[in-house]
Amino acid sequence: MTPLAMLRAMKRIRAVEAALAARPDHGFQLFSSGEEAVAVGVCAALKPGDQLLASGRAIGPALARGVAPRLVMAELLGRVAGPNRGKGGRGHMALPGAGFFGAHAVVAGNIAIAAGVALAAQLDGERAVVVCIFGDGACGAGALHETMNIAALWRLPLLFVCDNNGFSISTPREAALAPRRLSDLARPFGIPAATVDGMDSEAVRDQAIAFVRHARAGKGPAFLECLSERFESHSTATRETRSAEAMAAARARCPIDRAIARLRLDEAAVARMDAAVAAEVAAAIAFAEASPLPDPAEALGDVV
Amino acid sequence: MSSELGARKVFFREAIARAVHEAMSADPRVILLGQDVGAFGGAYKEFQGLYEAFGPARVRDTPVAEAAMVGIGAGAAAAGYRPLVSITYMDFLVLGLDALVNYAAKARFKTAGRLTAPVVVKTTSGAHGQGVAHSQCLESWLMSVAGLTVVAPATAADAYGLMLSALDHDGPIVFVDHKRLYPTTGEVPLDPTPTPIGKAAVRRHGRDATITAHGYMVRVALEAAARLEEAGIDCEVIDLRTLTPLDLSTIAESVDRTRALVTLEEGQTPCGVGTEVAFRVQRMVGAIRVARVGAMPAPVSSNPVLEAAVVPDAARVLRAVHRMLDA
Repeated sequence: MTPLAMLRAMKRIRAVEAALAARPDHGFQLFSSGEEAVAVGVCAALKPGDQLLASGRAIGPALARGVAPRLVMAELLGRVAGPNRGKGGRGHMALPGAGFFGAHAVVAGNIAIAAGVALAAQLDGERAVVVCIFGDGACGAGALHETMNIAALWRLPLLFVCDNNGFSISTPREAALAPRRLSDLARPFGIPAATVDGMDSEAVRDQAIAFVRHARAGKGPAFLECLSERFESHSTATRETRSAEAMAAARARCPIDRAIARLRLDEAAVARMDAAVAAEVAAAIAFAEASPLPDPAEALGDVV
Repeated sequence: MSSELGARKVFFREAIARAVHEAMSADPRVILLGQDVGAFGGAYKEFQGLYEAFGPARVRDTPVAEAAMVGIGAGAAAAGYRPLVSITYMDFLVLGLDALVNYAAKARFKTAGRLTAPVVVKTTSGAHGQGVAHSQCLESWLMSVAGLTVVAPATAADAYGLMLSALDHDGPIVFVDHKRLYPTTGEVPLDPTPTPIGKAAVRRHGRDATITAHGYMVRVALEAAARLEEAGIDCEVIDLRTLTPLDLSTIAESVDRTRALVTLEEGQTPCGVGTEVAFRVQRMVGAIRVARVGAMPAPVSSNPVLEAAVVPDAARVLRAVHRMLDA
């Protein structure tokens, strides 16, 4: 994927989230704003048969994997035109046919699931790769360590991606996790690991390509830590604990601004891209608004 | 079904191994994950011969990592496989509940049917001298999770038949057996004979009272019924077989005749299997005499005196029936 295409993908995420935030009917949301380069860079390394799993912070990953903005918008606004008829919603969207196996809003809860999807891929023998994006908050959970051990033993085609935004809600990563680098967690299992600047979509992409190639070749899992910044509070319903100075410093590292600078785009080119993205988002909102909320009877469907 | 020509007497463990073998032969998507399920053949030899027949890709020993084992099973299930995950004792299923309760049981619902997670979690419950963290019957916990199916065989035929059905079932399912059933034998039909999910079995016909039970407690109920017969009390014994969904019509049909119900389980009675059975049956048949028998409200010690003091036996069922009918 070209840097220009990655920029547009990042802008799409930012714009979808901004449009969602402006609506009074979004319930509450966990935004990927600031962390767009992680999802976009990782997805730039994937092929159509591959699968992506994500945490509850899933708007960026879903869009980066190619789930259409109109489907994301409809699902998050609870409309039946969403890929899961509005039943999954925030933190639980899935469109496996598009390579987005799904979000799961239990911290670390999707990691072993991803290993199961990777086991299925290995047994299928079709050289597909599975990626699971989780936050630094998941790195203290036993499920990650259990899964890394098994993935290494079984050489599963699985890429662990830690989107390390530095906070579990309010708890700083330094107060929660002992290792110097979170990628160090993978080393005892013999899993190749790297830490990259998660605000640099090209750096994420390049390392993801190397690790996906490793997994696709049957050499087993890899672990990619991406150092990112969360531009908003944990969720739209969570109070922010960082100072205004800290927030400004985080936002100064914007992955979108960095990509624009590196591409040397002029204002007119950026404006054209913004207009195209805005049109996509407006169409997405219109699509969602045209769809009804589910009938209450759907609450009892698809249970068993 | 169990005519002399059409059935064979086998150990409980052999019935399970046969079902898994047949399912793995019929469907390449069936795989087995668990601790010591490979060449060792399972803690109770209930998977004996499978590793040799199907190899290490489909019969996989795992580390002691229940959270990952159930999660990997659920994920592989959602991706199209039919994994059987063996959790040696039910007490340890607690470590794997996240993937079972929060993912597998919700997958179909939250994706509006785009994904389902037909993982079978097989686990062994019950007291047999192994102490406070190796003896529990927690099946009623699972009954309160929407999206899960729960089965519990009491006989070799149903261990075989329910395992066949479980491995063919389109959603997550927990197969709960019991340590004390492993030394037992029973007739199993030679022809493939799945036990339908959601169907109880009347194990003994009677007029005076109905006893419901599942798993090993079915044998305890039958022992109690035999002794009650000597006292002139004629009990019907229903083997629930499936705990979710309960076969309420079979139970209600019986209780409607006897107007007296004793629920028996080895687990705790508060919010237990029997409480659920009693409430729902009474709603169907109206006021009846009812009693519930379960473990005393205490952990189950490995000390044989203390274990026996807590776990229900035929004598306690006898007393409960007498007390109920004399009241």
